[in-house]
Amino acid sequence: MFNQNNFYSSAFAKLQSINYPLLGLIITLFFVGLAVLYSISNGDFNSWPLKHSQRFMLGLIIFFLVIFFDLRLIFGYAYVIFFLSIISLVIIPFFGIESNGATRWINIAGISLQPSEFVKYTLILALAKYFHSINNDSSFIKTLIIPLIITIVPVLLVIIQPDLGTALIILLGGISLFWISGLNYKYFIVGVFSILCSLPVLWQYLKDYQRDRVLTFFNPERDPLGNGYHIMQSKIALGSGGIFGKGYMEGTQSHLNFLPEMQTDFIFTMLGEEFGFIGTLLLLLMYAALIMISIRLALKSRSLFSKYLSLGVCNVFFIYVFVNIGMVTGLLPVVGVPLPFISYGGSSMLAVMFGFGLLMNCYINRNIIIEKTNY
Amino acid sequence: MKKTGKFIFQKYDTENLINRRAALVTIAKAGVFSVLVGRLAYLQIAENSNYKKLSDKNRITHRFLEPERGIIFDLQGRPMAINKQKYEIIIIKEETKDVEKSLVNLKSLLPHANIDIEKILKEVNSRKKFIPVGIIDDLTWEDFSKINVNIHKLEGIYPQIGFKRYYTQGESHSHLIGYVSPISKNEEESNPLSKLSTAKAGKIGVEKAKDAILRGKLGNKNIEVNASGREIRELDRVNSVQGNYIQLTIDSELQKFCYERLKGLSGSVSVINVKNGEFYALASSPSYDPNIFSKSISNETWENLLSDKYKPLINKSISNQYPPGSTIKPFVALAALESGVSHKETFFCDGKHLIEDTSLESGYKTFHCWKKEGHGNVDMTKAIKESCDVYFYQIARRIGINKIAEVCKRYGLGEKVFKSLYEEKSGVVPNKQWKLENLGSRWMVGETLSAGIGQGYFLTTAAQLSLALAQLINNGTRLIPKLIYDNKTSNIYNERIIADPRYLKIIKNALDEATNAPGGTSYRSRIIGKYKMAGKTGTSQVRAISIKEREEGLIKNKDLPWEKRDHGLFIGYGPTSDPKYAVSVIVEHGGSGSGSAAPIASDIFKYLFEKKLNLKRNEIFNV
Repeated sequence: MFNQNNFYSSAFAKLQSINYPLLGLIITLFFVGLAVLYSISNGDFNSWPLKHSQRFMLGLIIFFLVIFFDLRLIFGYAYVIFFLSIISLVIIPFFGIESNGATRWINIAGISLQPSEFVKYTLILALAKYFHSINNDSSFIKTLIIPLIITIVPVLLVIIQPDLGTALIILLGGISLFWISGLNYKYFIVGVFSILCSLPVLWQYLKDYQRDRVLTFFNPERDPLGNGYHIMQSKIALGSGGIFGKGYMEGTQSHLNFLPEMQTDFIFTMLGEEFGFIGTLLLLLMYAALIMISIRLALKSRSLFSKYLSLGVCNVFFIYVFVNIGMVTGLLPVVGVPLPFISYGGSSMLAVMFGFGLLMNCYINRNIIIEKTNY
Repeated sequence: MKKTGKFIFQKYDTENLINRRAALVTIAKAGVFSVLVGRLAYLQIAENSNYKKLSDKNRITHRFLEPERGIIFDLQGRPMAINKQKYEIIIIKEETKDVEKSLVNLKSLLPHANIDIEKILKEVNSRKKFIPVGIIDDLTWEDFSKINVNIHKLEGIYPQIGFKRYYTQGESHSHLIGYVSPISKNEEESNPLSKLSTAKAGKIGVEKAKDAILRGKLGNKNIEVNASGREIRELDRVNSVQGNYIQLTIDSELQKFCYERLKGLSGSVSVINVKNGEFYALASSPSYDPNIFSKSISNETWENLLSDKYKPLINKSISNQYPPGSTIKPFVALAALESGVSHKETFFCDGKHLIEDTSLESGYKTFHCWKKEGHGNVDMTKAIKESCDVYFYQIARRIGINKIAEVCKRYGLGEKVFKSLYEEKSGVVPNKQWKLENLGSRWMVGETLSAGIGQGYFLTTAAQLSLALAQLINNGTRLIPKLIYDNKTSNIYNERIIADPRYLKIIKNALDEATNAPGGTSYRSRIIGKYKMAGKTGTSQVRAISIKEREEGLIKNKDLPWEKRDHGLFIGYGPTSDPKYAVSVIVEHGGSGSGSAAPIASDIFKYLFEKKLNLKRNEIFNV
């Protein structure tokens, strides 16, 4: 069944059926990120830009690897993949690397990875498989509690790292699949209501610095030299960029170091300062286009699994973009979320390429019908 | 759709459901994107100008530039107060999150430097937060470059190049020129330089008197800094303007000579040109090194200067007041002549003069002549030449205190010579009204007698005495005393004659005899040669001599403790043929005028005569 000829011809067919506008947009976004990183490193390609390129190359390899796997295989191993990613989260407290008071990374063959970045997508994978397989007549417990547990476990594991931002994205990504897969909207109303009621309780469990960030978000002037400093400086950088920006490599907020963490979480600000409103608008349009194409591709799949998976990936991606930009523009608290394809960060780059690999695989195999399994 | 609300997961019509729900999600995403775009439009377009200002405030820092202080020259054009470059360290509160931490870091970087963190913190907190405060005033180049290399650890701390004042003439000129030190709280309002805590202001002497002229104008610059405060580049600059130069009428060589001549003594010398009122020397001894004030002076040094019994910080030529003693006699004689007393009229001196005093048991009070056995018959010339006290008791009593006071005041006694020197004292020329106003009691006849020989309430300064004599010698031309050289008014005589030249001739002649005729009080100090000096000695008591003491025999001055010895004074002019200079010398507790002060005056005149009566001058102006 599996001879070489067959493999090559099917590989070629797969390459042919890739949606190139989507891949093109991804590559374009990478180059935008590269340009901004080049500016941040003051024209030194060998520092951040080079590493960023290497990571993107690695990301592309992962992207194509994911494409070449049989979708049914991915479906079959969905829970296993999810379980492995959960294991990697569980071992973090024992083998993880600590940085800035949080333990988020593990070292695999000399490369430090952030498992929580991948969990965003493996959760979608598991939920997609689960929702694909349930029946209409399933009991309340079986149909609702199990996926809730699947969702809550990684969220809690990430919260204790502690990494509130990533936990929120995982949670929102999971919940978005509940919605897509047709959960009665009444549960959402009940859910939102109960979350609002439990907020005061949750507050008790937040770390001091997390509380600080939330408080500072509502009033940045509260602590202009501490947490509010980041938000203030980010807003100043964006605002002073104006319509046309200060010019490439001319940003004063960034190049004079007033802007914190500009190569990672605040990279959008850097772009906004140097390229102005025109630049930020163009970037937002690119992201919007990427999301629109993703949705269109997702809905072309025949199997529910593919649709759920693709839409889930798309939602997670959207939440990424929204939380990051919302954060740097002062609409959301500073939670430390990178901007996909642009921010300097290995795990996030590899994870997002993994996600889009899944999405593209679903598109290529859009006509495959996947049987329900007994979850 | 009828079953809506009863399912947990809708599993019929999934195709439509997914499309519907995906569409709703998409609409939500579009909504969120619109919010983001709106937010960006608000920040980047609507609020752009606000944020631009904030961004500029971040990156642009305003710095004041210290002006170079004006240079002070002497009459010959020698620079006496100049500016030297120095390396200094300042801190700006506004530009650091933690002043103390920055200071601690600095201290660990320069362990041998004397940094009083508490004192600096106090200073920083007492000033406005944008005003730089000096930490180290004068740094070596090595330390300066060390700071520059480690500047990223020293938030809010900046190394800069400044100026320090340097006085080339050292202690011989310190009282006159004064010194500068940091601007004090009460000077802040009137001094625009106070925006710069490192700026200095004159504290005394000419530095203080002419501070507004010398200080110059602040410059300023805008620089671009990074988040840790390091200067990236200069954006614009308005240069500071150096203060104006000042040329004094002082001849620094003469001043130095006078100061050296006073070495080991406590006293002062004043030298004036009798023709144009220029002061050539105003020396005071002992002195201090004015350059110690360029660095922060230690408390111990300061306390020592303050508590020294020879008062090195006081300019004794203008700020210490002394009873003029016998040096007042030429002026009392002039008052007598103006009151109709003939210079030929004689009085008999038997060593004492009695006046009625009912308050005393004996019914009279005795006034002694310095010469116990008396001078015999004395006319005016002899009275001045030999300084007969009894003669002056009698004419003082005849013409009255108000006449004496009027003449003395006319010649500038009891009045500040230099209106601009803050530390100058005015002295006292007493009269009846003065006593009533200041002491609240009536004038006594005995006090007129004391005033007649320059004792009692009389107080003068060395500068006053030299000016008064100069105006007496130059045939009564009122002089405008000058310390600051300026070509607009120099050499212009004020034509107001203030005495009858005939009377002045009599007095001048008597002064000549006092020095150049045998028996004169300063005969021993006379100058033999082409040019001669003439003058009047004075010995002023600092304590009352009791009757008992007098009966037991006077204790010689040299046997008394220093503080109780008499002051020695001398006022003189020369050359006698065509007077050009008037000199006053005061030696505190020097014993007698003839013994201590006259020899000094004699040496000064010799020095002046050797210079062929013409001091070199070299005008320097940038006014």
